[in-house]
Amino acid sequence: MKSLDIKLNVELPKLSELGGKLKEAAKLFPDPKNIRLPKNLDEAKKAAHDFWYGKPHGERRLGDLYVEKTGLYKHREWRGVKDTFYYFHMIWLYNYANMVADIMKFGGPVIFAKGLWRYRWMGQTYLPVLHWFDRGLEGMRGEALRASAWHYRAMVCVTINQFMNMFNADAKLHNGAHNDAWHHSIAHKETVWGGVFYPWSDKFKNIPMEMIPYFVTCHVNNHTVLNYIDAVQSIGLPGDPCPMCQAEAGLFVLDDMPDYAPFVVTTNEACDGSVASTAIQDWFLNVPLFALPQPMQFDDPLVQEHCANEIRELWKFIEEQTGVPFNWELLKEKLERQNELQRFEWEKWDVDAKTNHYPINGVAQALYRIYQSQYGDHYIWHDTDKKVGKILTKCVEQKIDTFPKTRHRVIAWSCAPLYYSNWCTWAYNCWGLNTVINMDSLMFDMTIRTDTLDNCVMDMARYHEWAPMRRMAVGGMHHIFELWDYMERFNCDMVMMYDQLQCKGMQGVVGLFEDEFRKRNIHAIWMPHALPDKRTVSRAEIRRIINDYMTTVMHEEPLDPSLLEFDDDMSW
Amino acid sequence: MNKKKALKAIVKQGKKLRKMKKAANRSSGKRCGGCLLFRVLGKIFGILAAVYAILFAVFFFDLDGKLLYYVVEPLLVKHYDKMERKNPLDMPYKIKEA
Repeated sequence: MKSLDIKLNVELPKLSELGGKLKEAAKLFPDPKNIRLPKNLDEAKKAAHDFWYGKPHGERRLGDLYVEKTGLYKHREWRGVKDTFYYFHMIWLYNYANMVADIMKFGGPVIFAKGLWRYRWMGQTYLPVLHWFDRGLEGMRGEALRASAWHYRAMVCVTINQFMNMFNADAKLHNGAHNDAWHHSIAHKETVWGGVFYPWSDKFKNIPMEMIPYFVTCHVNNHTVLNYIDAVQSIGLPGDPCPMCQAEAGLFVLDDMPDYAPFVVTTNEACDGSVASTAIQDWFLNVPLFALPQPMQFDDPLVQEHCANEIRELWKFIEEQTGVPFNWELLKEKLERQNELQRFEWEKWDVDAKTNHYPINGVAQALYRIYQSQYGDHYIWHDTDKKVGKILTKCVEQKIDTFPKTRHRVIAWSCAPLYYSNWCTWAYNCWGLNTVINMDSLMFDMTIRTDTLDNCVMDMARYHEWAPMRRMAVGGMHHIFELWDYMERFNCDMVMMYDQLQCKGMQGVVGLFEDEFRKRNIHAIWMPHALPDKRTVSRAEIRRIINDYMTTVMHEEPLDPSLLEFDDDMSW
Repeated sequence: MNKKKALKAIVKQGKKLRKMKKAANRSSGKRCGGCLLFRVLGKIFGILAAVYAILFAVFFFDLDGKLLYYVVEPLLVKHYDKMERKNPLDMPYKIKEA
């Protein structure tokens, strides 16, 4: 990489064009003509009430806040004095300050700047991260706002930790040199569960290859990933394979993957699309590789023994590559910490399933859970769970109805659209659809025994088999149809059936689901999408599909009509 | 009546003297310790209040988002588009030795 060569080609507008530019810039802000002063005492009292407490749900008109096409806000939401200042202090300021603190803690501003300048996925995605908060927390108030925001904060902390670890070790940022950090890092596919590396976690950092450059970018800025999908198609890959695997391979095609570890561990999860992307990654990485494939039909007891042996083989491989022996005590310690997280998750599900006091919205629930359970143990998950635990207790003790406009309790099933993970926030604000649980949250629904090594490895094998998109999306019909049990368990009356158009596995069972929905008389909305690729089915199209179902089938009126139709085509 | 007038005149004179003393102190650089402390604290508070107000304005009008969207991201994307990149396809594909 050449030394930093910064040329800022900024074109200043001509004087004659300035007027037009100012008019365009004015559209980014609220129009003063829309400010309506109260005409009488009643209106003045209402205005004062709305200023202090925030407007009630049906009067907010959140759609009017958006700047056309961009998803930016003319002004951020006024949620009443208390919640607006909470958002300002404890979400906006707090997270900006802590992002800087995390960067300083995990490596410093110099290596951060180098990484930002070098990698598109860094600079294009992670700077506007506070807007990701905004989209997910739109319309939220009170304890639900607080608890959901803590989940976002945790994910940001782990994300910064990961990319700073990558940059610290990256040979491309150190003039090709393999430093100490490089020798003490382990690269692996994002669908390899981080827990298999626990025995070396005191000396080595395991960093998933694609979680930060691909997976998280889709949620924060859905434009970044398109470069990688297009790159891999430009070398001849057809457009119909799973876009996740396309993007993962595309990172390598565009030479946008840091060189941060001396060996790599891969897997076939969630499906054989990962095998294809691994072939490309193996070619371009050209380092020692261990493949940890998991079976599709994971209920077979013989397969369990096989998977456990695969994990033992992986551990031998790591010992050979690092020269550091397996540490059983450290594995036990980390697994016990992970089990703590799982037990708290069960407590949360209990409140979620049986009450209306659950203070976490659909998107925070889904993303936090999949991130935490897939990545593995990290101190921030425990800190977050402590904070959220207090809020949860308060909500239960004071019987706080955290989502008071809930009309339908929704369970979301199958693989979610990564570019519109906050659809559930929109759906609650617009239609009162409260997504109480989703399929990805329900994977890894187990603790791991630490009494003996054999029991531990068997449980780890089972945990690893239950990978994201694997546990219920493949694995046999009885797993795919666990939906009905979970609907009952979480008291849901509606299903949001994600329909990943490029997932051959789930496309094969669409008809079976249709038959069951009819037979069981379940309201189910099919949400087509292409996982990270927003071009196949846009966010607006997803909203239109939900709007159509809610009006033509459910015959309901929207809670906030301003959210029915708006253009966010170019938004992050 | 005369006593009242006299008292009023004394009070007025006292005020005038205090004013002159303050003006003299100001010009000669003398400060009472407490006044100086309050003045400094007042300035700090004023600066902090201004910073707080600016931050709130940035937050409320989404100025951070607008800056990132219209200025920072386009500049960075231009930079990334122009970057010279190694073509990984130049690396020969070969089966690695066991």
